Amino acid sequence: MKKTYFQPIQIGFIFGAVNVFLVLIGFNAMVASLLAKALGEQVLTALPPFPYLAAFTILLGLWCGIAAARKSSRARIAGNVLAGWLSGLAAGSVTFVFCVGIGWLLSNKIDIRNYLTVLSFDFINGVLMGLPPLVGALANLGILAAAGAVGGLLYGFIQSSKVKQINQPILALTCSTTEKLKRLDHGRRRLAFQILGVAIAGAVVIFLPLNWGSYWNYVAGTVGLYVILGLGLNLIVGLSGQLVLGYIAFFAIGAYTMALLNSPLPYNLMWGFWPALVLGVIFAALAGLLLGLPLMRLRGDYLAIVTLGFGEIIRILLKSDVLTDFSGGPRGIQNISGPTLFGRPFNSDIDFMYLIAISVALAAFVYNRLQHSRPGRAWLSIREDETAARACGVNTTRYKLLALALGAAFAGLAGAIYASRNQFTGPEEHSLMASINVLSLIIVGGLGNIPGTILGAFALKGLPEILREFSNYRLLTFGALLVVMMLSRPEGLIPSKRPKYKTPQEADGRNAEEKNVS
Amino acid sequence: MILEIENINVHYGAIHALKDVSFHLAEGEIVSLIGANGAGKSTNLNTISGILHPTSGKITSFGEEITHAAPQTIVRKGIVQVPEGRKIFPSMSVWENLELGAYTQTNRAEINERMQAIFQRFPRLKERRNQPGGTLSGGEQQMLAIARGLMAKPRVLLLDEPSMGLAPLMVEQIFEIIREINQEGTSILLVEQNALMALSISDRGYVLDTGKIVLGGAADELLHNPMVIDAYLGGNNG
Repeated sequence: MKKTYFQPIQIGFIFGAVNVFLVLIGFNAMVASLLAKALGEQVLTALPPFPYLAAFTILLGLWCGIAAARKSSRARIAGNVLAGWLSGLAAGSVTFVFCVGIGWLLSNKIDIRNYLTVLSFDFINGVLMGLPPLVGALANLGILAAAGAVGGLLYGFIQSSKVKQINQPILALTCSTTEKLKRLDHGRRRLAFQILGVAIAGAVVIFLPLNWGSYWNYVAGTVGLYVILGLGLNLIVGLSGQLVLGYIAFFAIGAYTMALLNSPLPYNLMWGFWPALVLGVIFAALAGLLLGLPLMRLRGDYLAIVTLGFGEIIRILLKSDVLTDFSGGPRGIQNISGPTLFGRPFNSDIDFMYLIAISVALAAFVYNRLQHSRPGRAWLSIREDETAARACGVNTTRYKLLALALGAAFAGLAGAIYASRNQFTGPEEHSLMASINVLSLIIVGGLGNIPGTILGAFALKGLPEILREFSNYRLLTFGALLVVMMLSRPEGLIPSKRPKYKTPQEADGRNAEEKNVS
Repeated sequence: MILEIENINVHYGAIHALKDVSFHLAEGEIVSLIGANGAGKSTNLNTISGILHPTSGKITSFGEEITHAAPQTIVRKGIVQVPEGRKIFPSMSVWENLELGAYTQTNRAEINERMQAIFQRFPRLKERRNQPGGTLSGGEQQMLAIARGLMAKPRVLLLDEPSMGLAPLMVEQIFEIIREINQEGTSILLVEQNALMALSISDRGYVLDTGKIVLGGAADELLHNPMVIDAYLGGNNG
């Protein structure tokens, strides 16, 4: 009984507090103008029209209702609606008190923008939707309560449709398709899915760049390069469990190989893109090996600190005056030439997008094969327990070196393409922050798997670009996202799964499973 | 001689952990190394399995010297350690743990055959094959650690404190398993603090004290030796 009423109200209070906080930092205005833009409306003032502000409140209320209904996990729809409504009401009452407060400030013309910069009179007016304070506050309360109830209702519907999905034609259709798929044996089904996935991805990759502008191709290209970096670092950190922090140094080696071999200054070698690309990968891998030799005796924190130092040493060397003649010094290297293909220049943003897409596919393929073969198994065992791995006869030194060299090669590939695309590279591009970015993206995405890496790269490199217009809130949104992620998905957005195995007899026959159980 | 240790000395930096230790293990035997905490028991096993290397002395197996061989070489020779504290791979499934035990073997069919044998001996592990190793109970984890060692098809199994942190009933079960494994032809070098348990299943035993072997002989004799009774078997209880 207590749970029925108490829990939704508690959730509602939390959502109410979050709503007040978001309003205080002006987040609602940001989302509202994003919504307005998405619907094609021109937003000229800082404050979007009232309906969009209300839409933000509605969305929050819906979310609140869904959250409360999910927590209460009632069987009947009415119960879900009740939970949603109660939480919406609770959130609304918190907001109501807040609105009355800011309404009072507005009606008495007390300006507190010195303390809370967002709270201008216009803004308060917007939150109250242009209504008198008390009415506006009540409107907020009403919207949240109603949206909460609707949220609960929605959740209830989703739940019940999951149970009796036969009624719905669309669900029935998918149902029959899965039935058909089930009849295919496991291997062929998997293959069919893989082909389908590759076909869709291929179509997207082939057609989308043509329709994107140069800017979005550039952004997507950056995301792609970070996917390659993420996969490479995942080999080292996610699979073999060696926390390497100065990873971007390998990227720098790839980038500078490309730069020095393909720019007029300082050497005017002009070897062409393709040989430089191969050399960049090889040099980075060699650097990984060389760095690995002294690292083999280190574990954990010590390894992290030494590699951090390595990354900084490379950056500072590139920047130093002593090496200016050799590597361009702090000014970096300009006018790096792009690739040519069959005698044609191949260096527009779209061309690079294709090149990067192919590289990502290649990196993902190599990563996937490695992960599911003997080296992958050995790396996992080293990550889990190095001593035990040695006791099992895993040559830990060899596999740790292999992980470093291969991971570095991935970074070299990304670095070489990056330098050629930007036609420039300089020491500050290879700062510690870049290493941390790559590490963050694989942790956010989920350590050790490909979809997680891709999603992480999108979240960390793509989203900030999409949110660029709201630059004031970019870091805030981003930080909030990270906190939410760490609370709700502590193992990353897509955590790695361990494969399931059947004993040989089970794998043989269809009914073997039952036999074995009995 | 399946395993012969001659005058080995091991140092951790300035600490002299093993002092002129010599002992041997004959085919088909169970031999116990008993001793207090810090006596050098685990150091001894780690040196045999190649994780540590002695500063002087000689280790031979079937007449071949393995003193400075790498751990993977020693595993290939059939000398397999089950490390102390059930060092299983906690987030990998039971199945993957077992497969890693057979890492030096590349023949699929052979691995599957061994897996079958393991599942027959440890039905519990078969039930839990898809469960992460870290979610097993202490006794099951110890079984998994031993089973993983068996996956390498060892001629000598080096067991480091298999009774550590287990309930008495479980300890008895584990020792029963050890005896069975031995009866099927695997020689066993057992390092234990639970001297009574260890000696009761052993053919011979050695007492290690601050890095030196102070006593050695048939297990029965050791069980009745006044010094052993006093120091390791709880005084007049023995």
